[in-house]
Amino acid sequence: MATASPTTAPDALDSAPEPAASLPDLTLIQRLVLNLRAARARAYVRVVATGRELSWLAFEVALPILSAAAYVYIYEALGAPPRYTGFVLLGSAMTAYWMNVLWSMASQFYWEKQSGLLETYFLAPASRVALLLGMAGGGIFMSTSRAASTLIAGSFLFGVQYEVVSWPLAILAFVLTLAALYCLGMLFSSVFLMYGREAWHMANALQEPVYLLSGFYFPVRALGFWTAMGASLIPLTLGLDAMRQLMFGAPDAALLPVGWELLGLALLTVVYFLLALRSLAAMEHLAKREGRLTLKWQ
Amino acid sequence: MSAPLSVDVQNVSRQFVTKKGQTFWALRDASLQVQEGELFGLLGPNGAGKTTLIKILSTLLLPTSGQARVAGFDVVREADKVRRVINMVSGGEHSGYGILTVRESLWLFSQFHGLPSKAALARIDELLEVVGLAQHAHTRINKLSTGMRQKMNFVRGFLNDPRVLFLDEPTLGLDVETSRILRSYVKRWVKEKPGRTILLTTHYMAEADELCDRLAIIEGGRILACDTPANLKRTMQDEVVLRMEVYPSLAEPQRLAQLPGVLRLVPDRGQNGHQVLTWGLADDGVIGTVIQALQQDGVRILRLEKADPTLEDVFMRMVGRRLTDGNGQSNHSA
Amino acid sequence: MAVETNAAPAPAGHSPAVTWRDRWQTFRLSAWLGWQVESNWADPLLFAVYSMAKPIASALILVIMYRIIANETAEALFPGMYVGNALFMYVGALMFGVSWVIMEEREYFQILKYIYLSTASMYWYLAGRAVAKFLITTLAVVILLAFGAAFLDLPLRLSQVDWGLFATVFPLGILTMIGLGYLLAGVLLISARHGSGYVESVAGALYLLCGVVFPLDVLPGWLAAAGKVIPVTYWLEGLRRALLGQSFAQALAGYSDGQIVLWLAISTVVTLGVSVWFFGRMDHVARSRGLIDQVTEH
Repeated sequence: MATASPTTAPDALDSAPEPAASLPDLTLIQRLVLNLRAARARAYVRVVATGRELSWLAFEVALPILSAAAYVYIYEALGAPPRYTGFVLLGSAMTAYWMNVLWSMASQFYWEKQSGLLETYFLAPASRVALLLGMAGGGIFMSTSRAASTLIAGSFLFGVQYEVVSWPLAILAFVLTLAALYCLGMLFSSVFLMYGREAWHMANALQEPVYLLSGFYFPVRALGFWTAMGASLIPLTLGLDAMRQLMFGAPDAALLPVGWELLGLALLTVVYFLLALRSLAAMEHLAKREGRLTLKWQ
Repeated sequence: MSAPLSVDVQNVSRQFVTKKGQTFWALRDASLQVQEGELFGLLGPNGAGKTTLIKILSTLLLPTSGQARVAGFDVVREADKVRRVINMVSGGEHSGYGILTVRESLWLFSQFHGLPSKAALARIDELLEVVGLAQHAHTRINKLSTGMRQKMNFVRGFLNDPRVLFLDEPTLGLDVETSRILRSYVKRWVKEKPGRTILLTTHYMAEADELCDRLAIIEGGRILACDTPANLKRTMQDEVVLRMEVYPSLAEPQRLAQLPGVLRLVPDRGQNGHQVLTWGLADDGVIGTVIQALQQDGVRILRLEKADPTLEDVFMRMVGRRLTDGNGQSNHSA
Repeated sequence: MAVETNAAPAPAGHSPAVTWRDRWQTFRLSAWLGWQVESNWADPLLFAVYSMAKPIASALILVIMYRIIANETAEALFPGMYVGNALFMYVGALMFGVSWVIMEEREYFQILKYIYLSTASMYWYLAGRAVAKFLITTLAVVILLAFGAAFLDLPLRLSQVDWGLFATVFPLGILTMIGLGYLLAGVLLISARHGSGYVESVAGALYLLCGVVFPLDVLPGWLAAAGKVIPVTYWLEGLRRALLGQSFAQALAGYSDGQIVLWLAISTVVTLGVSVWFFGRMDHVARSRGLIDQVTEH
């Protein structure tokens, strides 16, 4: 079998298959190629969707700007310091990723089960993790277009002033936040795999409480130190706090020093990734045992 | 020496628990063997357990008990290996991202099987040509008709050139022409490609008769018989099948089913609205008794034929009702 | 239309008139169906959490924003903001409840075409489907207001509420929201599945323009002017006066209670008229383009 094609080599497509029960194990490289191809293909759907449905993009930009504007005007009405406008805008931009994780990662397997796609995924040899990584990659592309446009349009509309402490550290904080967040999304998706309509409701129920707990519209320290530390299990809490410190130079309102927050994010990434791997395998087994992987069971 | 087994099912059962805590068996002690190169059919009404068996064989569902192997691999313990050699096409499927074109969508699925893009696209173009969908290669999926969509799903099933292909009601709801195209490709594929096997589920008798080398009749989660279509029909040779169109309709068919020498009587509605009675009789001598009884009931015979047995007759004899008479009595329908 | 199974059919070209009894029956049936869809929960506890988590979290975000700034202005504005935010839940719930039926029944349940070919009035059917959302929202609003009065010093005393004003203003606003729902339902009739963005955008725009969580005076002049032609602005103002006995925005402080009611009544009638006409137009467009039974599956 050619190394380029772990499952069925193109040149072997028309020849007789190997005898039953004599399929060689895939090498590490073959496994990698298979899963990278699957991840790339799954990401492609999302990237293509961004370009083909321009009306989506309009909403993706319009919606966060509208909510950001409402929160900006609240601070304005209260006579808050100008940096709060930046806080709100950054939080609004980051909602794109949280929404993406909830709606396009966590509950995605549920939608795909509804539309009959899930069984096609599960009978292919590619790993579920590869599919989820593809979703994450495509989702990050989609969400970044939304987040960037919110930030740019909002900065222009409300005249936000940045006091950047360190661009490399700000970028590192952003990348680590996304890594931990999307690993959490993978963990969620394994759990949601088991649920039906409740998955949709759970995603819906989680949306606003996380805006509150992670301090999307205010520095999270306002929740009290220990509550905020508890909320730090959600990667956006530490990520937003670190980015606010690094982009608006506001250490006085911070939860922890930036270094600790970056370390926390790295830890969360590893922990959520490992948990997601275990949970995906366990949930798939459970779903197959209980017959929940497909809608049609006879 | 017989060919190696592509599918080997040993006493497989599957129990489901409903939300209200009730349990029922979708499959009970099913056993069957399909040899490499065979086009094997599973024939049964809705809810008979056909799809459950396919789901188990395609690694989507775990059996409650029993063992099943596909291409020599255990579907529970060696699911990863099974997935490298199978594919599946289900009828009435709407899967796919509406925003992608036909070609893109098929490429997407080919990537989940690890095919190199160039080879996959060449194969996609070739298969689209075969099923007559080439001119819609760049049409978005959400613009396709039901028939086109099913053709696309059909192509998806062949993309990785599987060793074992599961076709679950592949022509469900399709028009005659589309069904013909798909059936003829299936026949050709399994004949021309050495070592490939197809497991087809259907409740269309004619489809099973036309395509399958062998078939199993499944009902209520149990496999009732398994043989070639010809052999199955041959089991009917000890009885006479008589079909007649009558007017007015026979009011109490059950009463006449009790006549001596009458093995079965299945009433049905004909295309022109008249009642059609299909009789299973012990021998030719019973025909006179039947005609006399009908005359006594004031029922006129408009048309009468002594028919060759069909798979439908085989099914009726085994199950006691027609294949299309609804779900299996002991099962729930999804 | 009443079904008379044994009666002779009306001669060709004659169709029995739709009576108020028929409309009521459609409304009742649709309300029952809406409740079945809404309460389709495996776990009532999760249902309760879901129903309350979202509004409480949203309210707490605002509470914290006001508390962080902690000045006299914040103290003065807090009651109006809190009540406005709680009542605004009706706007989102009813607009979504009425309009989303189109998308849900066309794309997910695929039964819109059957509703269309029945004798049920679409307007009554859509309004009926929002009843369940209205009831759940009422529960959430009552809990939120009680929570505010009990723990956040919200000066809301039942004995001091102007019940006459409340009883006049509240139903007018509900009619407005049903009208806005029709308007959006018309848009969704000709939109693809992702049309939820329209509903959210309109809700977001109303949140910004109607002085929900900050006084209208903070908005730039042209935005404040836009807010003053939307009935929701007068509805919130009327209800704040009824519940708290005080006005929220300077821009509306000069209006008497009677003027507020009058403006609300006029704008409600206009909204209902325009929305019924618009839905009728979109219905025609959808049928001429064959969109009633489309499934967009994005």
